[in-house]
Amino acid sequence: MLYLLLLLPLLPALYALRERTPARLASLSLGAAWFSLALGLLAQNQASGPLRLDGVGLFYLLLTDFIFGLVALYARAYFQESQDQEAWRFFAAGNLFLFAMHGAFLAHNLGLLWIFVEGSTLASALLVYHKGGARALEATWKYLMLGSVGIALGLIGVILVYALLGGTTLDWQEAREWARTASAAQLGLAFAFLLVGFGTKVGLFPLHAWLPDAHSEAPSPASALLSGTLLNVAFYALLRYTALLGSAGLFEKAALLLQSFGLISLLAAGLFLFAQKDFKRLLAYSSMEHMGLAVYALGLGLPWLAMLHTLFHSLLKTAAFLGAGNLLLAYRSKLIARVGGVYQAWPAGAWVFLLALLGLAGLPPFGLFFAEFQALLASAPWAMGLYLLGLVSAFAGLLWPLSQMIYGPGTLPHRPQGQSLVLVPGVLLAVGLFLGLLPPVELVKTWAEVLAWTR
Amino acid sequence: MVGRKSLDALIRLYALQNVLLGLLAFVLAEGELHFILAGLGLLLIKGVLIPLYLFRLLERLGISHEVESYLSIPLSLLLGGLLAGVGFWVGRSFVLEGARLPEAVPVAIGLILLGMLFMVSRKKAVTQVLGFLALENGVFLLALAETHGLPLFIEIGVALDAFAAVVLAGVLIFRIKETFQHIDTARMRELKG
Repeated sequence: MLYLLLLLPLLPALYALRERTPARLASLSLGAAWFSLALGLLAQNQASGPLRLDGVGLFYLLLTDFIFGLVALYARAYFQESQDQEAWRFFAAGNLFLFAMHGAFLAHNLGLLWIFVEGSTLASALLVYHKGGARALEATWKYLMLGSVGIALGLIGVILVYALLGGTTLDWQEAREWARTASAAQLGLAFAFLLVGFGTKVGLFPLHAWLPDAHSEAPSPASALLSGTLLNVAFYALLRYTALLGSAGLFEKAALLLQSFGLISLLAAGLFLFAQKDFKRLLAYSSMEHMGLAVYALGLGLPWLAMLHTLFHSLLKTAAFLGAGNLLLAYRSKLIARVGGVYQAWPAGAWVFLLALLGLAGLPPFGLFFAEFQALLASAPWAMGLYLLGLVSAFAGLLWPLSQMIYGPGTLPHRPQGQSLVLVPGVLLAVGLFLGLLPPVELVKTWAEVLAWTR
Repeated sequence: MVGRKSLDALIRLYALQNVLLGLLAFVLAEGELHFILAGLGLLLIKGVLIPLYLFRLLERLGISHEVESYLSIPLSLLLGGLLAGVGFWVGRSFVLEGARLPEAVPVAIGLILLGMLFMVSRKKAVTQVLGFLALENGVFLLALAETHGLPLFIEIGVALDAFAAVVLAGVLIFRIKETFQHIDTARMRELKG
């Protein structure tokens, strides 16, 4: 069953090579993704070979499949509206990407996890490239080079961990049992490499250079996948390795690194937000901010809170990128200055973008407020001030351009048609709002139990 | 590698490096099937397939086969020497207890650093790919030196990932040539901030 779950996304990916009607590809992608969702629920705690589906893997598998299905639905309307004949490229690369994601969440072997994370980089480079053009090429090249070097450094970490375990096992569970026998200093060194390697893909400052370019040049449904799902997979690897360090009794060492990287990314992203002229880059820097917050929450020793943060961020950021896609369809420009007066001309389009950004800025009742508040309560006094400073600066940096775009002067040149353009982000927002009002804390805590370590 | 001006020589050097690495894997194998297979896979993918692909790429691109650098050759050599020294210095603290081939660890770290230098200091997109491949070889050598080599199916997965990355990079380089009429990454700077 786990192998079926792993290989399922390859079906639409292969189908896209022959059949190029977006309508069929979209239905098939949606079907495959949501069928995997049901399969995943049934297959919890199953194991076969190097694959195993535990709580954390299941959590991210469900989140990814849910988002992917909705994005496929949106993509159909989006590519139709933009009269893009090459929509099949998105579905082919997207499903290949989903295959790599499934592999990463199912892999219980740390080496296999690495292979699938690298695979997801390669598949998503195709997503960014899409139809090409000078800017897309530059973004893809940068992404491929930085991503590959980053992940190669991560591989050094994997090798060191393997060597420290005496070259016996790469199975995560066994590795955790053996971890106490490893030398503390050298395990710390391995973790530093892993943090830099996977941190490049999470988008931590100063390793984030690829992130805004790739997010802004990719077609909007692809940007939504990058931000809503791709960043999570690297973060998921960090979750596993932090738990490994935790069971070696070295959490304090990891905590300092995670907290400082998280806070620095938060503060840097908060500053970068103010310099942005392009609204998709704005959203990209907001992703950097939230991934920094999630890494910080992990550094507090609260994996469940970090998972909850990525859950809320994925739902809202996907909605935001899809909403931004709508604006791009309407104004044919990514410049904040060119967009204005959306609210008068297209209330529905304005509402989804507005609500998604309000949620991302951390306003209640959206879930990010809850997650950020919990993290603040658990913070050390020295970190609290920095944390608040970062939040406030990101809040202002995000909402000032937003008010310009929604209420500022300007006219809507063209109103996009297609129900799913508003419906899909609407559904994501509704789910985000519901989960924000009733945060599934207990459920996520149960799923996060496999990560628990004793201090 | 850092001193060479011709791309063809670099690719041949890379192929040679892989043949040597493959032989090392054989020597370390001591008759164990796992290592012999890993060595064979390595020879095939990195010693033959990737170099052939790179030669074909160069031929079809129709560009000069000269390595263009931000740094002069003497400066490159000096920096390369320095980095190799740093590699040897730092590398000693990377030697783990029970390493199979402790002498090779500093060499691996040095190779990783040199690959990075190559990636940041050369202008052509093709040379950046070569830098990445050198870095990757350093990582492979590290795995051989520290452990008994990663498990076979992981090793093969890693090599396939590297191969896919190189093919993807090759396709991108073609598109870059078509779009910009050059493959000078220094002149690709539309995206900022």
